Amino acid sequence: MPRPEAEPVIEVRGLVKRYRESDRPAVDGLDLTVRAGEFVALLGPNGAGKTTTLSILTAALTKTGGTVRVAGFDLDTQAREIRANIGILFQNPSLDLRLTAEENLRFHASLYGIYGYRPAFRLMPRAYREQVRALARLLGIGDQLFERVEKFSGGMRRKLEIVRSLMHHPRVLFLDEPTQGLDPVSRQSLWDHLRSVQRTEGTTILLTTHYIEEAEGADRVFIVDHGRLLTQGTPESLKVQIADRYLLLDAADRGQLLRDLAGSPVTPREDGLLQVAFDGATPQALLARLTVPLTVLRIHVPSLEEAYLELVGREAAGGEAS
Amino acid sequence: MSARNEANALLAIAARDLLIFRRDWGILVFSLFFPIAFLGLFDGLIGQNLAAGLPFNFLQFALVGLVGCMLAQYTMMNVTSLVQERETGFTQEIFVAPVSRFSIVAGKILGGSAMALLLIAPFFVVAGAFGAPLSVGLVSGILWVAPLALLLGGAMGVLLSGIFATSPKAVDQAVILVMFPQMFLSGAVIPVSHSTGLLGVLVRLMPATYLVDLMRTVAYRGTAVYGSLQLYAPGVDLGVLLVVSAAFFVAGTLLFVQWEKNR
Ligand SMILES: Nc1ncnc2c1ncn2[C@@H]1O[C@H](COP(=O)(O)OP(=O)(O)O)[C@@H](O)[C@H]1O
Ligand SMILES: [Mg+2]
Repeated sequence: MPRPEAEPVIEVRGLVKRYRESDRPAVDGLDLTVRAGEFVALLGPNGAGKTTTLSILTAALTKTGGTVRVAGFDLDTQAREIRANIGILFQNPSLDLRLTAEENLRFHASLYGIYGYRPAFRLMPRAYREQVRALARLLGIGDQLFERVEKFSGGMRRKLEIVRSLMHHPRVLFLDEPTQGLDPVSRQSLWDHLRSVQRTEGTTILLTTHYIEEAEGADRVFIVDHGRLLTQGTPESLKVQIADRYLLLDAADRGQLLRDLAGSPVTPREDGLLQVAFDGATPQALLARLTVPLTVLRIHVPSLEEAYLELVGREAAGGEAS
Repeated sequence: MSARNEANALLAIAARDLLIFRRDWGILVFSLFFPIAFLGLFDGLIGQNLAAGLPFNFLQFALVGLVGCMLAQYTMMNVTSLVQERETGFTQEIFVAPVSRFSIVAGKILGGSAMALLLIAPFFVVAGAFGAPLSVGLVSGILWVAPLALLLGGAMGVLLSGIFATSPKAVDQAVILVMFPQMFLSGAVIPVSHSTGLLGVLVRLMPATYLVDLMRTVAYRGTAVYGSLQLYAPGVDLGVLLVVSAAFFVAGTLLFVQWEKNR
């Protein structure tokens, strides 16, 4: 986890994007601050404006309004400096399928000026060859390194794109739906890899996803919909902030239980149990007041999914009313 | 970014095109087929029917013009592969890199140029084997002007890519629609130096006219027909070619980039 006082590497203020043919903005006054070394997720349903936001942050798309700073550079005047300091995994594949895996990597390395271009792998500098061999081991592809990418499975291609986006050691890495099309094992190994990059290189990572489980693994989550930031916080704090947490209780001596709970919000439920809401992360304080022997004790701690669905649902209901 | 990095990126982009080209057997076969068809049919038909009373060797005349146009066309075709690559998503990877947009496009022109020269080489070999009237002066003249053919073709490809960035089909058709009239109106295969009226205007509107004119002027230097087929002084041709190519290059690059950026 990064220190809270680390300097911001992504600063977005009042970002607006209205596509040409569209009457509704795809991004509508978005604010984001991401600090150096953080691993954050932009979580939102399809069409929320995640890809649009990433395209703007990587200087691939013009914005309609707002200010953006990435890696300490201003997007309006220093787009090239931003490009030199970021890596990106696009939502849509961007490999050349007619080239081998190694040729795709060599092309990238040359484009970013890491190594001088040579027309064959064995003519490339030793440092390059070692880096690529190490990446191949990481991918578990060995000699497939010299096979054309069109023969690779979807998951392999995705992983190749990810290691490619890290070859030039970017300060900020953007990943747009990185685990789309990956099986659970590959997903986990991708996350482990990203975590180790964050740890060893201090890379700031911003990924977008519409999978809640995925956002749960991030240091901080920004929930967006209709191009606006609905809320943000650590996965834990979001659960507390958004969704209700409560205990379900029952006791043989109902009267004593109710006296113990005096002052707390108690709701009798249809199944006969008492629902008691509590504040904070744990129900410790509430439980300490109970003297009666309990027959039922259940803690309801919402998943991020419930929190998310509640939030996006609320938003949708509000949107219809307005 | 340093000039060295720009040159390196440009080289990598050009080299990638060559790598793909090397794996594409279809186009290699085509490149051998075309000169044989040309020399067999063109020489036979025109030699028997048309060229009897001309004061110059017609096959030689057409060969110089055609080579110029083919060099331009092959380069143009490679540059417009940008539009296909936009469709497949690969241009995302190229354009997000910290490299000047102009270097990227110049890389496509350089790659296309190398391809064009490789594709044209069999033409000379086959032509020589068939006993076409090739002299050292003629071939070296063509090669001297070849860079301008590659530049013009490349720049035209950039402009077409900029205009038809969103449709690979449209850009393919545009290449043919642009090359076809140039082939005839530039004087590549039919002399145009005495054209007047509307045709005369059209001839002068074709950028390839200045290319073919310059190529012949240089190829025929020191021969008896030198001057008789010439349209403009070499300096005029050169000036027009450079200005037109630069304008197409800049306009096409800016257009292509804005399709992606200003959605
Ligand atoms: N090129 C475009 N032109 C017009 N509207 C677009 C374009 N691209 C995306 N949109 C719209 O912008 C909104 C946000 O899209 P996007 O950023 O792709 O969302 P997400 O990545 O969160 O799924 C959607 O309503 C989408 O239809
Ligand atoms: Mg998206």
